[in-house]
Amino acid sequence: MASAPSAISFPPATFAKLSPAPFVLAHLKPTSSSQSSTRPSGRSPSEFRSPTINTGSLTHASGSAVVRIGDTAVVCGVRGEILRASDIPHPYTTSGPGDDGSKEIEELGLLIPNLELSTGCSPAHLPGNAPSTLAQSLSQRLLSLLHISKLVDGRELRIEYQAPQTDDEVPDQPSEVVTKAYWALYIDLLFISLDGNPFDAAWAAIIAALRDVRLPNAWWDPDREAVLCSDRVAESKRLNLRGMPIASTFAVFSTANPQRRREEAEIWVLADPDGFEEEQCAETVTIVVAPKQGGKGGVLRIEKSGGGVVGREEMADLISQAEDRWSGWEQVLLQERQ
Amino acid sequence: MADRRRINAPPGGTVPPIFANTISTTSTQRPKRTRQPTDLRKVFLRTGLVPSASGSSYLELHAPTPSSSTGSLVPSTSSLKLTCTVHGPRPLPRNAAFSSTMLLTTHVKFAPFATRQRRGYLRDAAERDLGVHLEAALRGVVIGERWPKSACEVVITVLEGEEDRWWGDEKNATGEGARLGGWGLMNVLAGAITAASAAIADAGIDCVDLVAGGVAAEVGDGQGKEEVVLDPCPSEHERVGAACVVGYLGARDELTEVWMKGDGSGSADGLIDRAVEAAALMRTVLAEAVREGAMMKYGSGLPEADGAAKKGSVKAEDVAMTG
Repeated sequence: MASAPSAISFPPATFAKLSPAPFVLAHLKPTSSSQSSTRPSGRSPSEFRSPTINTGSLTHASGSAVVRIGDTAVVCGVRGEILRASDIPHPYTTSGPGDDGSKEIEELGLLIPNLELSTGCSPAHLPGNAPSTLAQSLSQRLLSLLHISKLVDGRELRIEYQAPQTDDEVPDQPSEVVTKAYWALYIDLLFISLDGNPFDAAWAAIIAALRDVRLPNAWWDPDREAVLCSDRVAESKRLNLRGMPIASTFAVFSTANPQRRREEAEIWVLADPDGFEEEQCAETVTIVVAPKQGGKGGVLRIEKSGGGVVGREEMADLISQAEDRWSGWEQVLLQERQ
Repeated sequence: MADRRRINAPPGGTVPPIFANTISTTSTQRPKRTRQPTDLRKVFLRTGLVPSASGSSYLELHAPTPSSSTGSLVPSTSSLKLTCTVHGPRPLPRNAAFSSTMLLTTHVKFAPFATRQRRGYLRDAAERDLGVHLEAALRGVVIGERWPKSACEVVITVLEGEEDRWWGDEKNATGEGARLGGWGLMNVLAGAITAASAAIADAGIDCVDLVAGGVAAEVGDGQGKEEVVLDPCPSEHERVGAACVVGYLGARDELTEVWMKGDGSGSADGLIDRAVEAAALMRTVLAEAVREGAMMKYGSGLPEADGAAKKGSVKAEDVAMTG
C-alpha cells in the first residue's frame, strides 16, 4: 500500500487558480504577530496603486487622456459637437440669471459618456456582443456622477448670439441674448487593459480628458444660419471644471460563509482591488470626494453594495482614506496640465 | 435608431463643428511627403501590454509632422495607433461542433474618436471587411492543427486611424475619388496584420513564420507625375491611383493576403513587388519587437518564472497543500 499522502506543493500561481479565496486569506492572515497582512500583489490592505496620466495624445479628439492604474489602462477621448437649438424637440428656455446651467446639461443630455469594455481588454469581455451589464452600469454611474458633481458648467457649453443694435430700436433696451446652440460633449472611454477597479480609472480619465479639452471659439452666423468656429488654438477655450472629484473603491474580503456565524468571520477592507481580488470580494464601497479648499469634507457620493460588513466606524475610516487618495490624484492631475 | 444599452446623443442630433476659414479657402498646406519613396514611417511596436490577455501588442506609426505645431485646431495629419490582444487558445464550449483545428476569430473595431468624423459603437461593413482580410492573412500562418477543439480570438482596436485623403480635399471629393476612397483602410490592415502577428507570437501560439503587412501605392501629384511609394500616407498625395496590401512571410517568401484597390491594371505585378518590399522592411521591426518581448518575458532565465513572480509577489516559494 502506498504511504499516507504527503504534502503536495504548488507554485503560487497554481494555488491561486485552484483555490483563490484561501490564497487571498493566506496572504492577508499574518503568520506571526510581527508581520502585517499583505495582499497577493504585495500591497498592504489600504495601499492604492499609483496612477499615471498622459493627456492630449489623440489627434481627432478635443481632449484626451490615457490613465493607467497598475494593469488597468483606459483611454478617454472627448469630442465636442454642436447641438442646434432649432433641433431640440422641446425648446428649452433658460430660467433667468440665477441659472447655473446644470439643468440644461441634464435635460438636453449635453454630456454623453459611454464606456466600452469589449475591446479585448480582458478574457471576460470579448467583442462581438452587446455591452455587458457591467459596461452598462458603469456608463450610467459615470453619467449620474457627471450630473450630481456639476463638474461642467452648462453656461460654458452655450453658444449665444446677440442681435446687433439697429437705429430704429429703443436705444436703452439692448437686444436679447439668445442661445442658438450648445456644445454636446461625447465622452468615449475604451479600456485597453482591465485588471480591476474600472470605475476609479474611468472617472479619473474623464476628469483628465475634460481638463485637456479645448473647445473652439464658436459663434452664430445670421447670414448662413449656422454656427461657425474658429480653428485658431489661441482663440479656443478650456473648460473651467468645478472642483476635482475623485472616486476611491474598496472591496471587502470576508471569511464569512453560510455555515459560519458572522461574528466569527474575519474581515479585511482592500483599497483599489485588482481583478483577482475583485472576484473574491462581494461587498464593494465607492466613495467620491471633492474636498473644499480646506482639504477635508466634501463627500459627493457613497455607493455600497454586496454586504453588510462595513458599518459606521469603518465608513468613517474609508472616507479619510479616500481623502488621502484625493491628494494623491490631485498631484498627478495638476502635474499633467501644463 | 437609439441604442438602449448605451447613452445616446440628444434626440435632435449633433453636427461636427464647421470651421469658418475652411469653408472657402484652405489656409493650411497639404502635408508633404518628406521621406524617400522607399522609406517607411517610423514604427513603434511593443508586445505584452495587456497582462490578462494571452498575447498583446501596440503599434504606432509616427506622423512626420506633429500636428500641434500649426496652431490650428484642425489636425493636419493623423498617425495610426492600434492595439491588438489575443485571447486563447482555449477549449471550445461543449455544445460547439467538433473542429480538428483551432478556430480563429478576428475583430477589428475603430474607436469612436479614431477618425475625423465620429464613429459609432456598432461595427460597420468596413470594419467587418477588415476583419475578414485579417483572418485570411493570419490563417495561413498559425498552425491550427496543434489545437483541435479550441478557439482563439484576435481583437484589434484602432485608437487612431489613417485618413482616406487630405481633409482639404474632403469637400471636393465627389464622383470617382470619393467612391474609390478607403485608402486609409489599406494602412490600417497592414498595421493590423503586423500587430496581430506580434501578439500571436507573444501569446506563444505556434506559427510557421512571422507575417508582416506592407502597403505600396501608385500616387500622383496632380500634374501628371506618377510614382510608386512604400507606406503611402494618403493625405500627402493629390491622387492615389491604386494601392496594394500584402501579408508577407519573409522566411518562406510566401504571401497569405493580397488586397488591391484602384486601377492597377498596368502595374499590378510591380505594385505587389513593392508592397512585399514594404513588408520586408516592416518585418525587421516586427522581429525585433518579438525578440524584445521574449527577452522581457523569459530573459531572467526559465519560462517557469510566471505571472506571480513577475508581479513582485512576496510569496515566491512553493506553497504546501496536504491531502
